[in-house]
Amino acid sequence: MSASLVPIPATLVRILPEDPENRLFELQTTTPFHVGPGQFVELTVPGSGEFPVSTAGETATGFATCIRQSGRVTAAMFQLDEGMIVGLRGPFGNGFDLTRFAGRDVLLIAGGLGIAPLRGLLHALLEERERYGRIVLLYGARQPENILFREEFEELAANGTVELRFSVDFAPQLGEGDGYICSVGLVTELLQGLQLAPDATTAAVCGPPSLYGCVLEQLASTGIDPDRIFATLERRMKCGTGQCCHCVCAGVTICRDGPVFCLTELRSMPGAI
Amino acid sequence: MDGFVVKADFLPRLLQQLQENYQVVGPVRGEDDVCRLQPLDEWSEHQEFSLPRISVKKYLFPPNELLYTTKNGTFEPPPPPEQMAVVGVPSCDLYAVDFLDRVFADDPLYQRRRSNLLLVGITCHPSEDCFCPPRDTPPPFDLFLDEERVFSGTPRGDELLQQLGDRLIGEVEIDHDWTCEAQGPPLPENLERRWAANETKSFWEEIGGRCLGCGACSAVCPTCHCFDMQDRIDAAGNAVRHRIWDNCFFPNFALVAGGHDFHPTRGARFRFRCEHKLLGFGVFRGESSCVGCGRCRAACPVQIDILEALDHLREGAIP
Repeated sequence: MSASLVPIPATLVRILPEDPENRLFELQTTTPFHVGPGQFVELTVPGSGEFPVSTAGETATGFATCIRQSGRVTAAMFQLDEGMIVGLRGPFGNGFDLTRFAGRDVLLIAGGLGIAPLRGLLHALLEERERYGRIVLLYGARQPENILFREEFEELAANGTVELRFSVDFAPQLGEGDGYICSVGLVTELLQGLQLAPDATTAAVCGPPSLYGCVLEQLASTGIDPDRIFATLERRMKCGTGQCCHCVCAGVTICRDGPVFCLTELRSMPGAI
Repeated sequence: MDGFVVKADFLPRLLQQLQENYQVVGPVRGEDDVCRLQPLDEWSEHQEFSLPRISVKKYLFPPNELLYTTKNGTFEPPPPPEQMAVVGVPSCDLYAVDFLDRVFADDPLYQRRRSNLLLVGITCHPSEDCFCPPRDTPPPFDLFLDEERVFSGTPRGDELLQQLGDRLIGEVEIDHDWTCEAQGPPLPENLERRWAANETKSFWEEIGGRCLGCGACSAVCPTCHCFDMQDRIDAAGNAVRHRIWDNCFFPNFALVAGGHDFHPTRGARFRFRCEHKLLGFGVFRGESSCVGCGRCRAACPVQIDILEALDHLREGAIP
């Protein structure tokens, strides 16, 4: 990690629309820039501002990040074309410790855009697929058309690499080809009937605050060790280096000490989730 | 560290010597009776033993600092800062510099400013607002003025004393007591446990009910280092970013996308500030960064006092 507040240039090599609101931006730098799963970077749209965003996985030439147009700076990001330059700082944060997943079944639970960092983790797991047992991905989205990376996940499910279950909040009608959509309702409903081996499972969760409120303790109640239930937190990370104090929660700098925490740690951080 | 007794005209001579290589600033009392760090032309302008309202922090971590300008697709940091000397820095502010040095240890722009800053400390003559913690090690300084003696703390300080050799009388032993006369109450033991046990809102919300949210306490604090960054296009059409001081009392400080505010009340914001000062954040957890200068107590328009919070924690029950 460089603590410099001066970004380095990165080229937008590919921009892929994922759904009406989200795009996948693939970035490339002239010097090697490795972002581990669960880590984040600060992206600069020159003249507009900077925002923190997690990696959604590595690419042949760099890494990708999934961005929702939700404010002034992300709106400026959506005006950019392939080949244009953005600023990049990082990588920041602890990221997921893959040794905590090795030799175990892996349960990934994502809500909404929370799928982006978990896709980064999934890609890292698939690099050495043989090191892990079952990989189960539970992913809740608003509607079927908001399911991000759907084709990619369904392909992985079809060839048996991962077990996949989607849930959606609303679905006017489910049709043919919606086979992986297992429930209309909360993503936590997908946990039923999974037949997990709790003492052999490591879980990673990413989603909106409401998801953490229910799912983390629910996982612990099934018998998964709270040291092996991980969540990645979102805060207003401005500097990424633990200096600006915006993201501090319970005395912990989320940007530097986190953003990935296990449930045991989160239980001792009032106000964290 | 070397110490010497100095001749009567040492200080004006030191100023002349510094002016050859540095822009020299020191405490000067303005017509509004506010003491500020300002450029010093003559030693007679120097307001001895006066705590400037804003500490030397403003030169290391300026309120508004250019971070980069874009040039042909690259992000260019600003040119290096000029060599600067600050004279008459009281020890509390020197301890604050030590803290900031560690907060910004990995920040190249801060470190560039720091290495171009020469510090001339001075023995404090405390005001009624001061409450210094006990100290057993010296703070960082290049030179330190202790009445009729001067100490050198760095090779840069040694070099200056060599240049001013004819103004030194004789070497002395350094027996300075780094704990200030205005010693405040020590931090209560088991502070972390007391903090957790006193999470009850009533005390903090009572203070929050008085607090105006003006942020003066953080603005004058020599160790507060929250910042924001702002981007814009300058008149020449280049994208620029500035780092500006932020303030944990401002309403959007902990607001995240989606509208959730992690510090929704002034009570919560005051508690957050006290946690930062007294218990520390992140790698500094367990270290108080309050140097006891008393600026926040003097600056608060409604007499909110960080010592109230400390008393509350000291008197509160712990499990």
